[in-house]
Amino acid sequence: MNTEEDDFVFYGTPIEREEDLTSRKKKAVAEASGHLRTLPSWKQEVRDEEGRRRFHGAFTGGFSAGYYNTAGSKEGWTPQTFTSSRKNRAEFKQQSMLNFLDEDEKEELEGRSLGTASQFDTFGFTAAEIARKQAEKEQQKSVKFSFWIANYRPSAVPGPAPDEIVLPATESIGVKLLLKMGWRHGHSIKDSHVNSLYKARREARKAFLAFSSDDAKSQPEDSEPGEEDHKRILDQPVVDDFPSSQSTPVRISPVYILNPKEDTHGLGYDPYKHAPEFREKKRTRVSGKQGHGNKQALSIKDSLFGLKFTFGPSAGRAAPVYEIEDTYIQEDEEPIRSTTENMPKLVWKEQGVLSGFKVALNSDYQLERFDPPVIPKDFLPHHKFPGPLEFDNKPDTPPEVPPPDDENLKVLIEGVATLVARCGKLFEDLSREKNQSNPLFSFLTGGNGHEYYSRKLWEEQQKRNGQKKIALDGKFSSSVDKMTVESRGKILGEMPLERSSRDLSSSIASVNVNLPFNLSDTFTKPESSSEFPEVAKPFQDDPGKQARFEQFLKEKYQGGIRSTVSSGASNMSEAARARERLDFEAAAEVIEKGKFNKENKLHSQQLMGFSASGGMQLTFGGLQQVKDTLDEDLATKKIYPRREEFQWRPSAILCKRFDLIDPYMGKPPPPPRMRSKMDSLIVRSDLKAMKMEEAFSADRNQPLALQFSTQEVSKDVVDRETEPGIQVENVERPVDLYKAIFSDDSDDEIEASNLNTKEDPEKKVEVVHSTLNRLMAGDFLESLGKELGLEVPPNPPYSTNIAGSSRQKESAIANPDNVNILSVEENSFSIPIAHGVSRKERAANDEKTAKKGESGKDEQPGPSKDKSDKVHSGKIAREDRKKAKLPPGLHRKRTSTSSEDERNRKRSRRHRYSSSDSYSDSSNDHRDRHHSRSKGRKKRSSREKASSKKHHKHR
Amino acid sequence: MSDVSELPSKEANVLKGHEGGVLAARFNSDGNYCLSCGKDRTIRLWNPHRGIHIKTYKSHGREVRDVHVTQDNSKLVSCGGDRQVFYWDVATGRVIRKFRGHGSEVNAVKFNEYASVVVSAGYDQSLRAWDCRSHSTEPIQIIDTFSDSVMSVCLTKTEIIAGSVDGTVRTFDIRIGREISDNLGQPVNCISMSNDGNCILASCLDSTLRLLDRSTGELLQEYKGHICKSFKLDCCLTNTDAHVAGGSEDGYIYFWDLVDASVLSRFRAHSSVVTSVSYHPTDNCMVSASVDGTIKIQT
Repeated sequence: MNTEEDDFVFYGTPIEREEDLTSRKKKAVAEASGHLRTLPSWKQEVRDEEGRRRFHGAFTGGFSAGYYNTAGSKEGWTPQTFTSSRKNRAEFKQQSMLNFLDEDEKEELEGRSLGTASQFDTFGFTAAEIARKQAEKEQQKSVKFSFWIANYRPSAVPGPAPDEIVLPATESIGVKLLLKMGWRHGHSIKDSHVNSLYKARREARKAFLAFSSDDAKSQPEDSEPGEEDHKRILDQPVVDDFPSSQSTPVRISPVYILNPKEDTHGLGYDPYKHAPEFREKKRTRVSGKQGHGNKQALSIKDSLFGLKFTFGPSAGRAAPVYEIEDTYIQEDEEPIRSTTENMPKLVWKEQGVLSGFKVALNSDYQLERFDPPVIPKDFLPHHKFPGPLEFDNKPDTPPEVPPPDDENLKVLIEGVATLVARCGKLFEDLSREKNQSNPLFSFLTGGNGHEYYSRKLWEEQQKRNGQKKIALDGKFSSSVDKMTVESRGKILGEMPLERSSRDLSSSIASVNVNLPFNLSDTFTKPESSSEFPEVAKPFQDDPGKQARFEQFLKEKYQGGIRSTVSSGASNMSEAARARERLDFEAAAEVIEKGKFNKENKLHSQQLMGFSASGGMQLTFGGLQQVKDTLDEDLATKKIYPRREEFQWRPSAILCKRFDLIDPYMGKPPPPPRMRSKMDSLIVRSDLKAMKMEEAFSADRNQPLALQFSTQEVSKDVVDRETEPGIQVENVERPVDLYKAIFSDDSDDEIEASNLNTKEDPEKKVEVVHSTLNRLMAGDFLESLGKELGLEVPPNPPYSTNIAGSSRQKESAIANPDNVNILSVEENSFSIPIAHGVSRKERAANDEKTAKKGESGKDEQPGPSKDKSDKVHSGKIAREDRKKAKLPPGLHRKRTSTSSEDERNRKRSRRHRYSSSDSYSDSSNDHRDRHHSRSKGRKKRSSREKASSKKHHKHR
Repeated sequence: MSDVSELPSKEANVLKGHEGGVLAARFNSDGNYCLSCGKDRTIRLWNPHRGIHIKTYKSHGREVRDVHVTQDNSKLVSCGGDRQVFYWDVATGRVIRKFRGHGSEVNAVKFNEYASVVVSAGYDQSLRAWDCRSHSTEPIQIIDTFSDSVMSVCLTKTEIIAGSVDGTVRTFDIRIGREISDNLGQPVNCISMSNDGNCILASCLDSTLRLLDRSTGELLQEYKGHICKSFKLDCCLTNTDAHVAGGSEDGYIYFWDLVDASVLSRFRAHSSVVTSVSYHPTDNCMVSASVDGTIKIQT
């Protein structure tokens, strides 16, 4: 056993067996019964019934708490009796430092206390103090003895005195007597009640008067205390004036000086603590204010009393006491001074100079005065208003004058006249002033050609006024006499019915558009749209833009129902369109100004606001199809550069690193820009193109589709184009949506072989729906999404892998997936394999696109690539595709025929379905589609360039 | 106004050493040195005036597309096809830090004034700002408002300006937190700031250089004549801002008058595409790099 145990190393406490435990218990019991009796109590170990010693804590007795772990004590256990502390409450002792000191410390402390050394203790204060203390000690020992001793006074003469025999008395006999009479320390004599005090005071005053007459002259040298007393009387201090109090040598009854707080400083705050000279100053100022009357009285009294008087005995011993009191009193007794003393003070007080300072003869500080501007003598208090624009008050018409011979001068005159007419009289004045010396401008001041100028000016004004009036209120225009058919039409708001220049009329659906358009036009007030084309061609170099501009003008001045087609080329981004519109606005304004047409600006403003939300306008999809070709070349036109501004939030650390202040410090982050939506829509237009093509190919492939007439095809096109509107909803898919779709790909494929795939897609659809709905909360598309969620048309999956960034890729993939699921559900018991196949295929595409993204430009786009590779080959790509159908071999490789068939069937279904509700959809969807189309195309073009560049770059 | 004789016309030095195309050549801030980088995955430091090759920096895994040096010549930053931004110590030639995060190739990189931030422009449509002060290799800011590859970046004291293939030149003003986007309608290859900081010269892929007023976004002038259709070609203004210089895909270097946009001078400097031009900050001296593997100094 031992050898075995040596081999092992044990860690921790072994778990004890039950038997072991019980045996120990038994042992403990046995020990307790046996040992405890024999051992003395202090040797006994306390154990519990289990035989364990209990550890009570290191500071609470270790293993034995209390008295050997008992509640008893050496004397035995005695229960404590309850004692109420109720009666003891009053015995609260004031603690002092001495309570906490040891004996030796106390001694030390006493030794340290400051006192006058005995040989310097001239007046025996310290000796007295010590004596008093000792006396008190003695007193405590035996009152009688102390009383006896107290009769002795401390000797004023320094020197060793047998303390045992002579003990200094603490108090004078007078005090003793007073004490016996009931007087106590700190109290004034006879102050038992106020009245008596008052009487005493009155009497004292009388006495003073009496005294003063006698003693003032007899004792002139001792003025100080007398004056003091006199002051006390005036101020009525609480201090008693009784002579007896003055004779108390040690205990000075406290003198309360009423020093009312007059300043606004905080309690106890002394602003002059470190600058006492200012205190003086302040006091003089204050007293100068308030102490005036006082002083008057004083002076009277002074004269009454004579200059000086004394009172009370001038005892040598008491002199220091007076001095002490004096220092107290002086503090506040400034205003009351003998006139001789006051005189110098008053002098410098008047000067307002601090003691020790002298008034400078000339001060640096001078009040600066700013004189009001001098009014020119020829100033007339009459305001000249900036040149009135209207010259209605000009009564006479200058006569017709032949233009001056000098052609240059003529031109100049005409120019100036036009300008003056436009800008007002002020301009004339200005230019006259400016060009005073210029002989060319002499016509302004009445020189050569002045007549012509005035005539011209008048003409211009007439013209201008006339225009204005037309614009302001057509009916009351001044040019009624010159009314023509056109002008009348203008005024009445009529409009020539059809203008052939309209590009609308050539479009397929223009019939729909034009009818209400024209009808409405006849009822709105047109502002001579006919006159613009001739006059205003600000975009002549750009016919497309010019056309759009004209359209814009028409819109602007005609009103009525607008078609979005007119609001700009559809291949332009929303921003670009907005910019262009701004341009147009500006141009229109210029034209307006040029023609002095003050069209009601409000109208245009409203239009602006309306156009800002451009996509909201009613549109018809078919039109865009036509426009597309037109827009292709428009895209390249010079509408650049365009400037846009966005919010952008630099990160705090970036600001820090750039040593700039964060402009967004402490602000919540700005809302995410909506651009991202646009970005991810890049795919849309391509998708659409694909779909279009799909539709065509479907028609060819399936005889069923042939029953559609061309008309229906076009409708279908319209319908197709509504799809992106729905797809916009899942533009910003969160991950969970993505997951919901993709997470169980493998399961899906397995299930694809099973027949009951119905459940799974349905579930998914639910998930997708809920996520979608969450996404769209707050969006106006929400309801639309709910309705249309299940009706999303099938989307060919291979249309998704368009070369692009990963983001676009994602969205592209997600969309068809969504669609696929839906479509599967739609015809759930058709062919479930299609689901899986399309998935597989998509996965393959995924890989491909990913690969492409990785190795980008090094790869050459070959025929083995996806169809989407064609995108890079530029604008022709789409036409190419239209012509060239799908590369069949390629297609076969990737998709099974069954899936394609199924897709076609779906498509045809969709056709039927869509033809019924396409119009209701289109109105709603248009906005998004419009966005996506225009944006998408633009993006695509740039991307094409990028990719093409990429392929060449850095070879 | 424009003195043609001032313009560089004769070849002063040829710097040979790069194997394969040189993608960028840049003067340092005082013009005494020149940095180049190319397809051979190296960055080279030259003294262009004496024609001496000083140092080679090797660490990139793919071609190096852009390089920039701090004002004090102590640090380099480079980027390239390996999707990384390298932060080098000039003297030791070691990489201090590698900034990873770009999703694809990095086209351009610049230091800010204090060399505390590196801003890189990537093919992944983003601008990324990297912190040189901290040890973090995470970008301190990602700007991804571009809708296409960002080709070029310029930094001022307060702004980040970048040109992208989406046709925009975007100015990110850090002080006011605004992004100003100037859409040129053509893919922007390279942007270069005028020495007075008021204008931006943008090289577009339609063989046009465009001069933009920075404050208004106005197109001030267009410079045409050269070929720039598929390569990232640099352009720059001369040190006096009087002329515009740019390379062409046929190996020519063009000089335009800034104001009237007339071609003042053109000469064939390289046998192949002139990828990069850089003008000396003070002298009439220009360095040009080409796909033919040479760097030439024109005076």
